[in-house]
Amino acid sequence: MAVVNLHNIIYKYPLTNTPVLKNINLQVEDGEFVAIVGPNGAGKSTLCYTIAGFVPHFFKGEMTGTVEVLGIESQNSSLHEWVLNVGLAFQNPFNQISGAKYTVFEEIAFGLENIGIPRDEMISRVEEAMKLTGISDLADRSPYSLSGGQQQRVALTSILVMQPKVLVLDEPTSQMDPIGTREVFVAIHKMAEQGMTVIMVEHKVEWIAHFVDRVIALKDGQVILEGTPDEVLTSSLLEESGFGISRYTSVARKAQQMGLWHSDSLPITLEEAVDGFSKVVAK
Amino acid sequence: MRERLSFFVKRDSPIHRLNPMTKVVLALSLVLIAFSSPWFWTPPAIFILVILPLTLIGKVAREYWNFFFKVILPTILFLFIMQALFLPGKSKIIFEIFGLEATELSAQLAFRNATRIAVMVSSFTILLLTTHPSELMSDLTRRGMPGQFAYVIISSIQIIPQMQAKAQTIISAQRSRGLDTQSSFFKRAGSLIPLIGPLVFGSLVEVEERAIAIEARGFTSTNTKTSLHEIPDTNVDKTIRWILVAFVLASVAWRLWLL
Amino acid sequence: MKIEIRDLHFSYPTGVEALQGITLTIESGEQVAIVGQNGAGKTTLVKHLNALLLPTSGEVRIGGWDTKSQSVAKLARRVGYVFQNPDEQLFSKNVEAEVAFGPNNLKLDKEQVQRLVEDALTMTELSDKRETNPYDLSPTWRKMVALASVISMDTDIVVFDEPTTGQDAMSIARIANVIKTLRQRGKTVITITHDIDFCAENFERVIALSQGKVLLDGKTNDVLGQDEILATTYVDPPQLTRLGKRLGFKNTVRNQEEFLTVLKKEKSTYLS
Repeated sequence: MAVVNLHNIIYKYPLTNTPVLKNINLQVEDGEFVAIVGPNGAGKSTLCYTIAGFVPHFFKGEMTGTVEVLGIESQNSSLHEWVLNVGLAFQNPFNQISGAKYTVFEEIAFGLENIGIPRDEMISRVEEAMKLTGISDLADRSPYSLSGGQQQRVALTSILVMQPKVLVLDEPTSQMDPIGTREVFVAIHKMAEQGMTVIMVEHKVEWIAHFVDRVIALKDGQVILEGTPDEVLTSSLLEESGFGISRYTSVARKAQQMGLWHSDSLPITLEEAVDGFSKVVAK
Repeated sequence: MRERLSFFVKRDSPIHRLNPMTKVVLALSLVLIAFSSPWFWTPPAIFILVILPLTLIGKVAREYWNFFFKVILPTILFLFIMQALFLPGKSKIIFEIFGLEATELSAQLAFRNATRIAVMVSSFTILLLTTHPSELMSDLTRRGMPGQFAYVIISSIQIIPQMQAKAQTIISAQRSRGLDTQSSFFKRAGSLIPLIGPLVFGSLVEVEERAIAIEARGFTSTNTKTSLHEIPDTNVDKTIRWILVAFVLASVAWRLWLL
Repeated sequence: MKIEIRDLHFSYPTGVEALQGITLTIESGEQVAIVGQNGAGKTTLVKHLNALLLPTSGEVRIGGWDTKSQSVAKLARRVGYVFQNPDEQLFSKNVEAEVAFGPNNLKLDKEQVQRLVEDALTMTELSDKRETNPYDLSPTWRKMVALASVISMDTDIVVFDEPTTGQDAMSIARIANVIKTLRQRGKTVITITHDIDFCAENFERVIALSQGKVLLDGKTNDVLGQDEILATTYVDPPQLTRLGKRLGFKNTVRNQEEFLTVLKKEKSTYLS
């Protein structure tokens, strides 16, 4: 039984003529870690808002089709109940700082205060979540004094601490350096293994290939390809459609045409590329 | 990183340890007594006998005097002079500035008003100096103030310095496009739009995203909110509040008795 | 329009010494990328190019003009600066008006402004969006509007602060095209970027900053091949450079063509 089920979703923002989502059908199974890739304007953020219930409850506009999470339709639920099951962290970390709290610890506890979690449980959940995302040392800092990458980690932790069943992330590592990105992917992968269903919009193709179960390619409001990371990220359709693919994939494809790549499958990560090209210049 | 806009000074003192509501009641009581008491010398008496000791007990004397000399004193001096010169009152003239006269009566009234204002501003200053804004808002919310209201106040305190920083960046960006901020040309209203436009539009985008972010963290949840920090409300606090209320009632009663 | 920086020191009012003695020269028409970790001083350095910041000691000259004796508005004739966040610049009722703002400030005559605006809109592929309100465009296109509104000032020197952040592959290609066109016109282009692949593929010279000082300064291939030194300022080499190193290539490669050329050579070396 799919935990997340989008059925024939067509959505138009208020005062616009063109639908941003044009007939989306999407299922995500319990505990799956799914990545969504696509050019800017493809509707990725809108899709995130739709799964998280903000479309249509917050943005209004016209939506047809159904969004079901854990068997309940978003149209039949109130937003404040929906967010307990579906957590959302989006790109801009600065705008996710509530402004109501003076330390990172308090900031992360903010959500738990709102939903009425008892104090002792609150404290232990916050400590655990901070350990998971590696920001325990930032506990007493002011959220506004942090770098963009650090703020993104705080934003992610603030949602993880609410323990949603489904986690929707819109480019959560865009401002992080490679070390931070790795830590976040490892943390999220761990949560997925423990049963959280994760849907993540990402550009960083190499990391997706490493950690994700399934990739969905979105363009112009429609799903154009779906499958394993290998199937999707090395497909020529993606390169032709202007998606940001790994340079290793792209150079190997060119090399293949020149007779300088012998494998059937194309590489996505550095290791795969080294592997394949070593055979070409084999000692 | 810019300083917070709030007054709060982090220290450990008996005043700091009082429950926020107690300090609110204290500030309001001092104001009510200063304004209702029929005795002319009440405001200065409160100032010397209550305000000053409080700044010492609360260990915020330095910050208080800093604010006093920078803001309070100039304001009340200005008020005093204006009122003394312009309030009506036929009696002996005691001084004169630029042909405007101050009589004994008007000077008395001006003095009373100025000292009352001084007490009012000072008591709230002490409240803000010794109370963390988060704690104040948390306590008031617990006692029934709407959570959204508290959020607006608290987030404004932190977000205003951020907006100031943003305004600075906008000015730099527009200057880099040749906007001349130094010529008299600049004073035309049209030159303000390149500076205010981005600030307003950018802020609208920010506000929308922030609303989504706090919604995602249960801001509109109908559950009873809990608090990370325990804000104690001791018997000492409750006693102090009742004593203050008694003083206020006595002062008002005295005033009514004399009518 | 030469840029001459001599022993530049800069300290912020808080006391932090952000630039600790930078000396370098950028000749007319050079394409330079500035890389380095957050806090290394990249933005602080480029803000000296149009007098947004003035040296605490040392000197910055733009085409002979000492920045200490010029206003920011005056230097805007020589140095165009594209800020990172377009929402901190855009305010006009439509794209065309926005792009005309800069050249109008430079007091150019109407025909010249018209010509420059057309040119900038064409370069950034915004011609069909000229009547649209910038805030009705997506963030990706708003970035192009910000770019266009500085290009239209037709300055000899153009500075980009993180032009590719948040952009997708197609719009990065668009931006790369703009830089190529500027290069063909002999403009000096200076870019701060975290995207090391973008840097490798579009710039001939790389300056790596670390803690307010110049760590490395030279031709792209030379600089990007020094991964241990780059690592100290948290810069990873480009993907293809790394691949080439792992495969034991003698020369540092920085883009697809170079990689494939060396790959062909290495293969035939083996076969022979």
